[in-house]
Amino acid sequence: MLAAEGTGEDAMTHPMNGAAAICGLGITAMGRVYRDAEDLAAEAVYLALEDAGLPKSELDGLLINAGVTNGVSIPLHITLGLRELNVLTFMQGYGSSAGQMIQYAAMAVANGLANYICCVFADDPLKEGVRTGDAYAGGARRNAMSGLYPVYGFMGALPMYALGARRHMDLYGTTQDQLGAVAIGQRRWAAMNPRATKREPLDLAGYHASPWVVEPFHILDCCLVSNGGVAVIVTTPERARDLRQPAVYVRGFAQAHQHDAGLAGTDALVHTPAAKAGPRALAMAGVSRNDVTQCQIYDCYTYTVIATLEDYGFCAKGEGGPFVADGKLAPGGALPTNTGGGELSSFYMWGMTPITEAVIQGRGHGGERQQSNDVILVSGNGGVLNYHSTLVLSPHAA
Amino acid sequence: MTEPTRWLPEPDDSNRPFFDGARAGVLKLQRCDDCGGWMFPVRRRCQHCGSTALQWANASGRGTVYAHGQLQREYHVRHRGALPVIMAQVDLAEGVRMNTNLVGVSPADVHVGMVVSVDFEHSESGEAIAVFRPAGTPS
Repeated sequence: MLAAEGTGEDAMTHPMNGAAAICGLGITAMGRVYRDAEDLAAEAVYLALEDAGLPKSELDGLLINAGVTNGVSIPLHITLGLRELNVLTFMQGYGSSAGQMIQYAAMAVANGLANYICCVFADDPLKEGVRTGDAYAGGARRNAMSGLYPVYGFMGALPMYALGARRHMDLYGTTQDQLGAVAIGQRRWAAMNPRATKREPLDLAGYHASPWVVEPFHILDCCLVSNGGVAVIVTTPERARDLRQPAVYVRGFAQAHQHDAGLAGTDALVHTPAAKAGPRALAMAGVSRNDVTQCQIYDCYTYTVIATLEDYGFCAKGEGGPFVADGKLAPGGALPTNTGGGELSSFYMWGMTPITEAVIQGRGHGGERQQSNDVILVSGNGGVLNYHSTLVLSPHAA
Repeated sequence: MTEPTRWLPEPDDSNRPFFDGARAGVLKLQRCDDCGGWMFPVRRRCQHCGSTALQWANASGRGTVYAHGQLQREYHVRHRGALPVIMAQVDLAEGVRMNTNLVGVSPADVHVGMVVSVDFEHSESGEAIAVFRPAGTPS
């Protein structure tokens, strides 16, 4: 029972533990879908309503997050013909946004601001005839000072993550094969996911043969670039139970954010805010790390998975390489992680990628890739390990 | 005769001291008159105390490698025929972390914590940028 319902049955239960649930999920086609972000966002919302079995007239909240093209914003509600809403805003926390939207939606429905809030993300970086890698390299207008970034090779987030991975290798002896183990394990999951973009088998030789971008990153250490849209509807547990799909409860959540601000002395490429947010989110859910049955970890790069799992405490800082090397995260492993193939192999919808798979798994709809779903730990990560959201989801009410 | 390709847009008033310094072989950074804090790149307000009394001052040019990697794809005219470019974040003695490149060292010999000092690389069009090399090695 929920403490929020005033039963007093468990005084230790956090009032937000299980105070909201996910009742709708909409995923558009992913990849080279040459439609603009706003249209993809609109389709995702309609798909989520259909999935939930919820009439559009019942939707009274909309949270919107745009990706790298910044192609969707407040006017989406006009496109959708949502003439009256009780919650509406545009949000931006980069890769942590999707998790953040679920959190703010959960707090809003739990406190009666709205009944059904749709959290939507869409992006359209892929343009016909433009190289995939250029979509994220950035074509910003630059002055002499910001022009130094391309002169030195700092194009987009990728080089910074590569530098972080290399620092981890220097400090702890993490190996290229260990980075590769993340990519290979997730590809094995992707083979079981009909929505995944890359499903062909990958082995260590194939990983090593992948071209370098910024060493130590091969192309296969990097996420896909995708066009698409995802929408997730959040409501109260009671309302969720009356709808078409099995409810997936929001049991715990937290955020933590950090940045070196261009100043020396911090180790922000190795120690991420997951170390703060993870324990807080698990505490809210009233579970321990040992209760986690699967992880959906934001995997913009292979290294992000290693650093995040370390900071969540699944192993000590520096031991993430050996921790993942034995296939622990892959099918048949002890800690099933990114069971849809993740951003590396399925599709890249920023923080919505791990959330979509968490909802599918939480409902028990994973088919041949379905894993034990009692406690699902979900991370979102933005910037260069700067902006972090954690969710704990479960098919079990609090 | 074609003009050599510029590496950078023309400096403006906000950053000209930095690039003038580089052409003269001096690393110039902003320092706060009120609290003495250093910062990079260009700020209008001190990151440490909020003061707007920022002046350009000569930095030591000494630092250590915080992180490094090797650029293996050309993204800029300067990278042509120059791969791999060694990318690095260098923590300067002044407490600033700079994105830069390392020169005068083989990629295999670069390591976290390596002590480096500033040097300057000049383009054919007369620009100069700050790079770093292992401390004590000749430019």
